[in-house]
Amino acid sequence: MSGRSGGVARRSALVLSLLLLAAAMRPGGAAPLAGADGPEKTVLKSGIPCIYHKDGSSPVTVVGLVVPGGKSAVPLGLDGLAAMTTRLALEIPDEGKVRDLMAQATRMSFVCLEDHSVILIECLSENLEEALRVAGKIIQDPLISGLRVGRAKELMRLYGRAEEDDAGTVAHNAVLSRYFSGDGYGSALYGTEESLKAIGRKEVLEFFKSRFTAASVFFTVVSDLEPAPVRGLLEKYFSALPKGDALSSPIVSPAIPAENVIRLPRDTKQTFVGRAYALPAPEPGEYAKGVLAEVLIGRGPGSRLWGLRADERLAYNVGANLTWTKGAGILGVFLETENAKSIRASEALDRELDELRAGGIAAGELEATKVMAKAGLLRSIELKSGRARLLSGFEILGLGFDHLPRLFAAIDAVGLDDLNAYLRTVLAPERAVVITVGPEGAAVR
Amino acid sequence: MVLKRLPVAALLVFLALPLRPGASDPGRYFVLDNGLRVFLYEKRDLPLLHVVTGFGLGSKNETDDTSGFVHLLEHCILFRSTAERSGARVGADIRRHGAYFNASTGQDLSVFEISLPSEHAAFALRNQKDILFGLDLSPAELEAEKEVILEEFNQMEDDPDRSAAGQVLQELFAGHPYGRSIYGRREVIAAATVDGLLGFYGKFFAADNAAMAVVGDFVTADMEKLVREVFGSLPRTGFAAEPIPMAAPLKKGSVLRFERDVRDGYLYLAFSAPDYNHADRYAMSVLVEALGRGVNPLLSARLQGSRDTVQRVSMAYLAFKSGGAAVVSIKADPSDLPAVERAAVAFLKRAHDESYSKKDFISPEAEMAAFDFLESAKNQIRFASGQAEESGLQLAGSIVRHMLLNTREKPGRYLDEIGRVDSGDLRRAASKYLSRTEFAGVSVVPLKEGKK
Repeated sequence: MSGRSGGVARRSALVLSLLLLAAAMRPGGAAPLAGADGPEKTVLKSGIPCIYHKDGSSPVTVVGLVVPGGKSAVPLGLDGLAAMTTRLALEIPDEGKVRDLMAQATRMSFVCLEDHSVILIECLSENLEEALRVAGKIIQDPLISGLRVGRAKELMRLYGRAEEDDAGTVAHNAVLSRYFSGDGYGSALYGTEESLKAIGRKEVLEFFKSRFTAASVFFTVVSDLEPAPVRGLLEKYFSALPKGDALSSPIVSPAIPAENVIRLPRDTKQTFVGRAYALPAPEPGEYAKGVLAEVLIGRGPGSRLWGLRADERLAYNVGANLTWTKGAGILGVFLETENAKSIRASEALDRELDELRAGGIAAGELEATKVMAKAGLLRSIELKSGRARLLSGFEILGLGFDHLPRLFAAIDAVGLDDLNAYLRTVLAPERAVVITVGPEGAAVR
Repeated sequence: MVLKRLPVAALLVFLALPLRPGASDPGRYFVLDNGLRVFLYEKRDLPLLHVVTGFGLGSKNETDDTSGFVHLLEHCILFRSTAERSGARVGADIRRHGAYFNASTGQDLSVFEISLPSEHAAFALRNQKDILFGLDLSPAELEAEKEVILEEFNQMEDDPDRSAAGQVLQELFAGHPYGRSIYGRREVIAAATVDGLLGFYGKFFAADNAAMAVVGDFVTADMEKLVREVFGSLPRTGFAAEPIPMAAPLKKGSVLRFERDVRDGYLYLAFSAPDYNHADRYAMSVLVEALGRGVNPLLSARLQGSRDTVQRVSMAYLAFKSGGAAVVSIKADPSDLPAVERAAVAFLKRAHDESYSKKDFISPEAEMAAFDFLESAKNQIRFASGQAEESGLQLAGSIVRHMLLNTREKPGRYLDEIGRVDSGDLRRAASKYLSRTEFAGVSVVPLKEGKK
């Protein structure tokens, strides 16, 4: 047990040619290209694409089965359907299979995001074949009975309620809901009472059959093993997915809400004070500017919000987070403050953002932000599981699994005037969603 | 000093570090003349460098008058001025070099870490030396950081997991130095002065009370030269650690209940457990894995299998230098929390009767049908060790922790020791640490309607 001072940095990114990455980290480094040490993409005999990155840093293999769709694919009124279906695809039908997985320390987990879901299989590489054999049986032929759907609904309720105890998550969900009118990206990840009532076995089966197809899904693998045998195992144990059709979800852009103030009452000692801004869709240049804005405003000591903590004593936790969808980025900036300071903190937050928008940044701050952003990306690729998720995210957003070197180059290419113009536009006060989570007495400007 | 004689190979194998075929001289251990213990480990898969420095200083070293000083110092060291640079300058330098830096305070140790592109190795070492050994705080800076700390108090109290986890350890170790809150007491923090804090700092932040691990993309010989150049000038202070008595098992257990504005129910149970150097540590590690970690462990299977209201069950084993704790954490429907607690405690009290291994069964049929929780738990630990190899900071942190907590001359290879644990060892550990002892409990439940 320990107390930590930071919240200083979070991890957020991708991989490609590690050698070229290293070069890209250095001033004047050559533009990174996909190299022999980087990930590669092939199509398996089953027709399923497979992104593979060989990494000998540990005797562990991570296999992600990526299912496009995620929250964006959820029909109106059926909030939670994507998460519930993905969860049910991991429902282990008999104790023997549970035991096989347990015995070998193989872990299966899932995450449902804005545009896709990922089923993650993590194991000691020596156990990979057995892990894939069992996982293949479970995922390709899940037991979706009425009883299990009922049980999954209970789990969704528990997951949903658990999120309610974290102010940051509550705020994030509320902001997405407001930007997307409660639909698609704005739907409740784990459903609502009404939507869970509306979801039955039929809806789950339809969603599963339409999304879990060879034409839709792809694998992302990070492993110390040679690619060819692993691809062979994926072909062997994941050959039963129906071919299906490649479904695409509509690209939805956020709408600046007419009612842009959200207040969520909580009887807590601190008040969460946040602002959210919609960013342009993640084409490469815009993605780089979004990353820079996030780091500049709220990542670590020296960020624009840091002074609210260090000098103005308004918070322990200040920060920024960026969520990408195919149609936009949503940048959240926030601090958490003692209730009595919430009005002052809210005004100070707006003042910082106003000053940034009006005054822009200087060349030195831009360079430091670029260095910080690229180093953060490099750190984020240390862990195989995070790397698999992030490679998948780039692919899903249409940037390509091999986007990281290009992202480094795009970050380097952002000019001072360009970024300042970007900040003036995206941080315009009329575009902000203002959110407060805390006691009734806490106020916003 | 025992560790001074500890060969590099022993340290490496104890930590189960990745000694890849063909890897030559992947690690080097040495002690500077001033007493600073150093371990260098090449990990060259990414152009990153990770430096972790630990001090044998934790909340155990505080008194009623200094409760929270270690955590306050941790903040001041990271974010405030040194003799050479202002706090703002430190922050700007960190940013300019693309560094992540952070710190943590525990019962035994304070740990400071920095991670950055390896081309900035010299900056990393010089920055750490400056902030760790050169703190020069002004009264205004101290007052500012006190307010940040008080904000952290509020945040911690709003977080049901964080507050319950801290509280349950205070209850388990009541009366022992480990029973102090890591965050300290508000009134002590509010009254802290620069002189008082720097006096405390000067006593403990000494090279001969520290260990440092450097992991990453470097050539060992070059890094050793740099470490000696940067840290060699620090003085040896003659620091002598205060003896901390071994924590005694809890005599009378209790379960504290707190009401907060939460939606779920949170329950933490803590049992006394073996210390870092105790021979039972390996059995306890495997037992906790079998009961409450990894894939579908016994305790979660029992609770979640019989009750739909249970959302999360996990178990952790914390091995300190002078004691230990096995902590169970459960998240469940608050209306069912008392029943969940009864079921969990009843199971843990009977854990010494469980059959953990296939070999516990006499008939071949039963053996065939049984699940081998023992082997599963060992595999979980192997998997976690493998996974830990991916993170340079995690590796460096483990090395520092071992250098500061280990007192055994021949600790043995960790995974070998884990491999030797058998089913009988698990039952003996369950009997000794779970069945026969009192436990501390803390629950956090929603406010009653009228209180909202």
